[in-house]
Amino acid sequence: MSGLIHLLNSHGLTEDTIIKATFYGIAGLTVLFAFFVVIARNIFHSALSLAVVLIGVACAYLYLDTEFLATVQVLVYVGAIMTLFIFTIMLTADVHKKMSLKINPRVLLSAYAAALILIILIKIINAGPWLPEVKDAVPLDLAQLGRSLMTNYGLPFEVISLLSLAALVGAIVIGKTEKK
Amino acid sequence: MIPQNHFLILSAILFAIGIFGVLTRKNAIGILMSIELILNAANINLITFNKFQKTPDGLGQIFALFVIAIAAVSAVIGLALVISIYRNAKTILVTKINLMKW
Amino acid sequence: MVKFAHLIPIFPFLAFAILILFGRKLKRSSAIISIAASLISLLIVILTFHGLLKGQGSYKLFDWLVFNGITLRVGVIVDPLTCTMLLVVATIGSLIQVYSIGYMSDDPRFSRFFAYMSLFMASMLGLLLADNFVTLYMFWEGVGLCSYLLISFWFEKASAAKAGMKAFITTRIGDAGLLLGIFLLFFSTHDLSFSGLSAITGHPALYTTAALLIFCGAIGKSAQFPLHVWLPDAMEGPTPVSALIHAATMVAAGVYLVARCFALFFTHQPALVCVAYIGAITAIMAASIATVNNDIKRVLAYSTISQLGLMMIGLGVGGYSASTFHLVTHAFFKALLFLCAGSIIHSVHTQEINKMGGIFHKMKITGTAFIIASLAISGVPPFSGFWSKDEIMTEILRSGHPMIFIAATITNLLTAFYMFRLIFLVLFGKPRSELHPHESPKTMAIPLIILSIFAIFMGLPGSPLMNNVFQRFIYFGAEHTALSSNPDHFVMGISVIVAFLGIGIAYALYMLNKEILSKSIRNRFTGLYDLVYNKYYVDELYEFLFIRPCARLSKAFSGFDLKVIDGAVNASASMVVFLSKAKAWIDSNIVDGTVNMIARAVGMLSGELRKMQTGYIQSYLLTAFMGLILILLLKIIGG
Repeated sequence: MSGLIHLLNSHGLTEDTIIKATFYGIAGLTVLFAFFVVIARNIFHSALSLAVVLIGVACAYLYLDTEFLATVQVLVYVGAIMTLFIFTIMLTADVHKKMSLKINPRVLLSAYAAALILIILIKIINAGPWLPEVKDAVPLDLAQLGRSLMTNYGLPFEVISLLSLAALVGAIVIGKTEKK
Repeated sequence: MIPQNHFLILSAILFAIGIFGVLTRKNAIGILMSIELILNAANINLITFNKFQKTPDGLGQIFALFVIAIAAVSAVIGLALVISIYRNAKTILVTKINLMKW
Repeated sequence: MVKFAHLIPIFPFLAFAILILFGRKLKRSSAIISIAASLISLLIVILTFHGLLKGQGSYKLFDWLVFNGITLRVGVIVDPLTCTMLLVVATIGSLIQVYSIGYMSDDPRFSRFFAYMSLFMASMLGLLLADNFVTLYMFWEGVGLCSYLLISFWFEKASAAKAGMKAFITTRIGDAGLLLGIFLLFFSTHDLSFSGLSAITGHPALYTTAALLIFCGAIGKSAQFPLHVWLPDAMEGPTPVSALIHAATMVAAGVYLVARCFALFFTHQPALVCVAYIGAITAIMAASIATVNNDIKRVLAYSTISQLGLMMIGLGVGGYSASTFHLVTHAFFKALLFLCAGSIIHSVHTQEINKMGGIFHKMKITGTAFIIASLAISGVPPFSGFWSKDEIMTEILRSGHPMIFIAATITNLLTAFYMFRLIFLVLFGKPRSELHPHESPKTMAIPLIILSIFAIFMGLPGSPLMNNVFQRFIYFGAEHTALSSNPDHFVMGISVIVAFLGIGIAYALYMLNKEILSKSIRNRFTGLYDLVYNKYYVDELYEFLFIRPCARLSKAFSGFDLKVIDGAVNASASMVVFLSKAKAWIDSNIVDGTVNMIARAVGMLSGELRKMQTGYIQSYLLTAFMGLILILLLKIIGG
């Protein structure tokens, strides 16, 4: 790995440049697939695109020094939630039936609204002002994270687990067929 | 290093796309997937601020974790509802389900 | 020291909550929940008692209300008086609930009964633990409510429903006095805690009034003259209720209240003398009524009133220890008497003592318990009643009120007489009607046995035989130092003579020369007999003084209503009819036209607006997002 970096360095590419290049590449790919998620004619294809987007977001997490969350993202989203989505698609819709995104006034209006929101958000982001960035923050290690999850944030943690349980029971109740 | 704003813009783009999806997809599953996009956008924001701003005890990460958990929960309930609706109405196209129309 | 006294009322209250919510499903097991809660409370009471002996005192729980800078501190009082009362209430309450399993076994509202009993236990225990007037008043009303609910428990019976109302309204008169007394104290001292009572000085007239108003509450609750009329009627309720609420515990709350505020009464002697005289009037009057009444439960009710009067006398002459001592012993033997009466009623299905007779050999346990309790209440040594009555008599003599001493002695004579009249008429002799008595089930018999033991031995702690432990435990001020080391043999002698005299008269009248002698006496004193038999016409007097005028006033109002107001209404009505006819023309021609036009306009407009209600969720969402964008834009533009 270091050899590779060295090689690249010798060609005038610094480590920073490499990081930037890969990040923008991944980000662009993520946005592209995100578009595909919402405009794909086949729902199955859009599910697969969503998986790519989720992995892309996991990569973004890596750039933000949160390896643990990246792992969780891949495990929970790609591993569990995507599987659920695909199962549901199999169980309900006719996979091969294509659904076109017809251009009608509402779609146009929605596109306009989404674009407007994006513009406003970017305006807000660029306008700032943000608190000064912490440059050389030491990334939180996993043990610390776990400790604070069990101590300071113990109550929300328990609430979430209760919520999960409720959802579990609720999903079973909603999903089961009534005996006749 | 990549500046904070670029992460935020990535998040904003994903959010806008998600909103577009929620507003336009006819398939209920598609709507749920768009919601996942929105939640991911929010998560990117949380983690970005966790890195670039001073946060105690990894607050942003923990929040992101909770958001992931809640996303899982909402997906489970949403998909259960979709199956249940499909069983009753024989369709998951929200354009066909208009019980709310007077 | 662990502070857990405030947990005592919580368990019965939980039991109440469970039973009132799930009583229908629990059915028979509701009794177990209720009794278990009482037993847990009893356990905590014992622990508290232990703590008290170890030196634990009252403690504060929390600050409740703050008004005008005055804070109401809610706490728990742990002192000898409260602890003793707690023990009595918890013990008797548990026993009576066990008894109720048998007594109420056939009742369709079985679990409801236990729910109310638990609520009563919670309120009563809370009342005893209250350390200020506000919480006391809360629980005071709580027990009043339970009393009402339980008296009219068989509300299908009109007389029971009426009795419940009578009890509630009559005690309410006293409660109003209590409330006024509390207000008066609050406005003059800004302190509602009991501990602050001893510090009260100045304004003797004001504080005497406050004491008398508080005593009004006690009069109502403890059925003292002139508010005694509700208690005999309260016997319409189930017998365990009569035993627990209307004999042993709730009616004693009035006595407890006076004892609790004794510091106030003691420093304002006129109020104390008033207490003594009210007690004396009540005692002798109720005792005399009891000698001629023919309903077993009502006789016991009048006996209760009379004994409560005796306790009031005791307090009134300054015999704080003596009075609370009698309160304790009375609670046990009167509860026992009621339970025995209940057992007899349960078995022979009548309350008329003229129809009973000779059931002793069929109901040995009940009969024996009844006799023990009667001996105790009559004051035959060495049963409990003897010692406690003796203490009160000694105190009266010491205080120097000869009239009251005579009244109390006559009361004791009458007490012995009417109790043995009951015994001879109910248990012995020949049956006066077709009876099929049988011994009651075990759940009823066992509480009787336990209470009998208490009725026999409960007097010992306060007797010279055990060195007056009780009086050294519960006392007011430096009272116990005044205890004479050697008992007053004069008073004891009189007590014993009076008791045996009463029993002897009863024996002569009802066993030796049945009917004949009693009838001849009855004939000789017809006027007096009628007066007493009709309960001194107090009910009739109230009917004449309050209820009839009230009804007449209502009727007068109703007449006024009919003639004057209705006339005016009718006249205005005919005017209105004329006007309406005129308006009807305008209406149909002018107004309707306008209305129809508006309606049509609205219809057209809504037809357009209706198109917005597409029923598509995404349309609604889109609108919502538009709103969000608008807000964001405003935010940006507005800076």
